[in-house]
Order: sequence, then structure tokens, then C-alpha cells
Amino acid sequence: MRAPLLTLAWKSLLNRGLSVGLTILAIVLSVTLYLGVEKIRSGVRDSFNSTISDTDLIVGARGGSLNLLLYSVFRLGDPTANMGWDSYELVASAPNVEWAVPISLGDSHRGYRVVGTTADYFQHYRYGRSRPLELATGRAFNGLHEVVLGAEVARLLAYQIGDEVVLSHGVGEVSFADHSGHDFAVVGVLAPTGTPVDRSLHVSLESIEAIHIGWDTGMATRADPGEDADALTPDSVTAVLVGVNSPIRVLGLQRQINTYGGEALTAIMPGVALSQLWEVIGAAETAFTAISLLVITVGLFGILTALTSGLNERRREMAVLRATGARPSDIFGLLVLEASSIAAAGAIIGIIITQVGFALVSGAVRSQYGLDLGGGFGLSEMSVLVAVTLAGALLGAWPAWRAQRNALADGLSIRL
Amino acid sequence: MSVPAIAITNLRFAWPGSPDLLAIDEFKLAAAESLFLAGASGSGKSTLLGLIAGITPANTGEISVLGEHMDPARAARRDAIRASQLGVIFQLFNLVPYLTPLENVLLPLRFSPERASRLRDAGLCPHQEAHRLLDVLGLDGDGLDRASTALSVGQQQRVAAARALLGRPGLVIADEPTSALDHDTRDAFQSLLTTECQASGAALLFVSHDRSLAARFDRSVELDVINKAGGSR
Repeated sequence: MRAPLLTLAWKSLLNRGLSVGLTILAIVLSVTLYLGVEKIRSGVRDSFNSTISDTDLIVGARGGSLNLLLYSVFRLGDPTANMGWDSYELVASAPNVEWAVPISLGDSHRGYRVVGTTADYFQHYRYGRSRPLELATGRAFNGLHEVVLGAEVARLLAYQIGDEVVLSHGVGEVSFADHSGHDFAVVGVLAPTGTPVDRSLHVSLESIEAIHIGWDTGMATRADPGEDADALTPDSVTAVLVGVNSPIRVLGLQRQINTYGGEALTAIMPGVALSQLWEVIGAAETAFTAISLLVITVGLFGILTALTSGLNERRREMAVLRATGARPSDIFGLLVLEASSIAAAGAIIGIIITQVGFALVSGAVRSQYGLDLGGGFGLSEMSVLVAVTLAGALLGAWPAWRAQRNALADGLSIRL
Repeated sequence: MSVPAIAITNLRFAWPGSPDLLAIDEFKLAAAESLFLAGASGSGKSTLLGLIAGITPANTGEISVLGEHMDPARAARRDAIRASQLGVIFQLFNLVPYLTPLENVLLPLRFSPERASRLRDAGLCPHQEAHRLLDVLGLDGDGLDRASTALSVGQQQRVAAARALLGRPGLVIADEPTSALDHDTRDAFQSLLTTECQASGAALLFVSHDRSLAARFDRSVELDVINKAGGSR
């Protein structure tokens, strides 16, 4: 391809500004859609896969690993059974265990799950790239009847520090068994994380025990237990989050727990379980990608329309170019160059729009949804640019071949 | 100069599936000679010009332009000869619409490094030479940077003539260049063209059906006389 063709192609495109502009616009829109979907998709996947991080093992009663992950991390479904407090203490004191945070589930507030745990939870629960939980306002609980709200709970139910909430037994949206008489005071609200933490209420294990005294039958009794500390040590917890001091010890500890003779337990590695789960629910992301790829294809076909429809009125131009010395391959190259320039321009503008757009909204998205929309010009942008430009050139080859054939057939005469 | 601008021997040409359109045993145009080739439309004159310009490959016979063989088997070579040695003027629509008149004049330089280097060897700047030719042809600097489509037909033809002459090609071929012009413009254009071809030493092959123009040329030839093919009429 000869260099002079570049300026010719450029001027030719400028001359047909409107139709070229509209064709570029179609590609811009489709590329923007594709990149937007890709960014959100990978943001959601990354955020999903790091719903919980830095936790090496999750331990619960013997059962399916996905089930354990669902109820302990995603607050979905119900545990088949609890695990004993002595098992928790055994795990916590096992060699190489750096920390172990128990969680106790089973209560709710207006459909939001209540997590009974220790104050260590706020220190050790990590998500994303080892991001710790942060309090937006207030402080962590340090006594009975104090609750720390997830961001979404506080936002949607419009709770503020000092408000009183009543917990319900069970996890339904509408509960018929309130833990009345045990009002919890909101002492803190967590910053948004984009994880199920946002949809949780956090109280101390002792609080959970306190509100359940006398509920051993599953029904409320009128008895008032008082609040002596000994009685508030739980008999069991739902799951334990475990941090191990060395990554190479994790597998060994997992095997030890899974084969522990004292109680039937299951230990899972959250990262492995999360990617298993994503394989199940991530099928939809393939559909999104397929749809946005189709949209790009449709956008690119605009090039074919734009170039082909202009071919007849450009026969004279081609004859003039031939007469002044252009080879048939120059005619072909000119049109392919025009097609790939349209495609490249559309891709570049689309990439710029997504970059600028996501730069503008990423702060708000992070604070609202805790979603990290990875920014910057990366491999996916580069490959979109290359692929769209090549596809444009390929689509341009058809009208270019026709123009070349016409130019050969027309000879030196100009068809009017 | 001994090398003729055009030398045709035993040319036979037919479009695929058609009877012979051209059968020319012998045709010569001397260097720097101006020739009026008369022929009605449909007589095969545009086809003949396409063959001479090397855009259409000949079936049999030999065509040479300024001593260079227009080899039917070597399309790129024919294109290079045309780019370097030929100026072409059409009846209408001579200009590339998205280039300014000045860029249209400079267009052959994009495709022919030889033409550009001929200008350099003569110590000429392409832009100045283009302006000089346009000036000689009666187009002053005004409007040369605007859209080519804004020019009148007469102006467009003169831009085309300047383009054909830029870089001193050895042969200018003009296919009915005046038939879209009114009477006065036509005469002025024709005399400018012949004068400038003489000045730059280019041979001129001027094709028209209008025999009243023939007097101004060194020589006049009827296509029907040199073309022995029966299918032309």
C-alpha cells in the first residue's frame, strides 16, 4: 500500500462527512456498549470472586461446599446444622491458625440476615483486594443489644445511629416471631462493600444468645434470664472463618478438619468454592458477551452499506485516479483503507467514551455498590481496537474488490 | 527526437464476447506532434485511448508509448508508464471531488515518483509549477483551494489540462475535452492546450467528433480510415 493513499482516503472520508459520521457513530455505539458490558461484567465477576478474601478456610457442619459458601458468605439458604462451640475452640487453637472468627446465623430483621459474631469480624473480614470493612459512621458493637448495620440495610431502611431495631427469629421477609423486648441500638454503619455484608446486621454472639434464652423449644417463653456472662457463651455457631499463617498449611488444615472424628465438619477454601459457584451462575455473562459482540457486528456492517452504496457515484473518481496513474490495487487499497479508518475511528472514539465515562462514574459506583470497574487502557481495549479495525478492513474488501473490478471494466471511459 | 510518442502495429482488440472493435495495422504519432483523431461516438475511440493509456490490455499487436512497450501481461508496468508519461483529459468530471483544484493538479505526483523526480531534476517545486500551469491556463490563484465542484466546467477542464501537463509527460491524450464547453470557451481551451503541449514538448492526441477543430493540429486522422475492423459501425 502506498503512502499517498492515506491522505486520499482521509480527504475522501471528510468529503462524505455525514454518511461516514453516521457509520462511525454506529460503531462508536456498539463498541461503547461492548466495552461497557465487558467492564461491568468483569467488575461484577471480580467483585464476586473476591466477595471474601484473605479468609483461608470456612468451616461449618458437614455438608456441601457450595451450600456452606452460600449461607456463610452470601446469606442465602439455611445451614443444615450448626457446629459445636468446642469444635470452634479446637479450630481456633489449632497450630498455624492465625485467627478464627465464629459467625452465627438464623435471625433476621425485615428480610435482612443478622450475623452474630465477634468484634474480630470487622478486623479480619476482607473483600476485594484485601480491603477491610470500614465504618461509615459510628463504632463497632462492644456490648449486648448493639447492632452494626451493613450499608444497604441502613440506606434502604433509613436507619441512623441511635435508632432501635427489633430482630426476628428465622429469616423470612415477614416474621411472626419477633425477639420483642430485645431492642437493639444502632451503633455503627459500615461503608458499602458491594458484598453481602451490605445486606447484613452485625451483633455480638452474646447478643444472639441473650435473645434466644428460653427459645430452646423454638418458641418464645416469658422467662427473663438476666444477662450473666456465663449463660451467654454459645453452645454452637453456624460457621467459622479461619485465617492461616502460611498458605502452604491451608490444605493440610482443611484435610484435618474434614477428617476430624469428634464432629462431622466441612472446611472449604472460599476462593475455590467461589469460582465453582461462578461457573454455575456465570453462564449469563457469556450471553451478555455474545449479544454485545453481535451488536458490534451489526455496527460494522454499516461500513459495507456506506461503501457499497457510494460505489456507483464514485466510478468517475476511480477512472480519474486510474488515468492519473493509480493501479487497480491502489483503488482496492483506497477503499480498504477507508473502511478500516471508519472502523478504527469508531473503535477509538468508543474506547475514549468508555474510559472517560467510567472514570466519571467509577467513584460513585464504588461508593454506592462497592463495585470496582477496573479502569485504564488495557488488553481488552487494545484487542477491541485491533479486532474492529481488522474486521472493518475485511468488510471493506468486498466493495473494494467491486470498485477494482469496475475500474478495470471501465477502462479509460467514464460512465455517466 | 526519433522515438515516436505512440507506435501501434497490427493491433487487434475486441471486448469479450464481441466482434473485433479495433484492427489497426499501423499508427504513429511523432514526438511533440499534435494530432486530431476524428471519430463518432461508438467508433471505438475511447477503447483505443484506453489501450494507448495501458488501462486496457491489448489482445494482439504491439503498442508503444514513447518507446515503452505497453505489455498486456504487465499491468503494473503499464500503470507506471501511464503515471510517468501520460496526461489524460476527459470530456467531463475530470476532477476528484474531494480534492481542491490544486491537489487535483498535483495528483499524478502521488502515483509517479518519476514524474516528481523529473520536476525536481528541472529544479522546479511542484506547487510553484502547478501554480504556473494554472496561471498560464488562465486560472488565477483565487479559488484554487476551494472545492473542485465549485468550479465551472470550463475551469475544471483547464485544471485537468494543467494536471495532464504537470511534470512534462511526453504524451497528452484528450477525449472530447471541449464538447461540454460553449463555443468561445471551446476555442480558447483548445488553443491553450495545443500551445502548452508545444511549449512543454508533449505530443497531443486530441479525439473529437467535431471536425471543425481539426485545422489547428499538425495532422488529422479519421479513425474509420485507420481502423479496418468491420464491427465499428
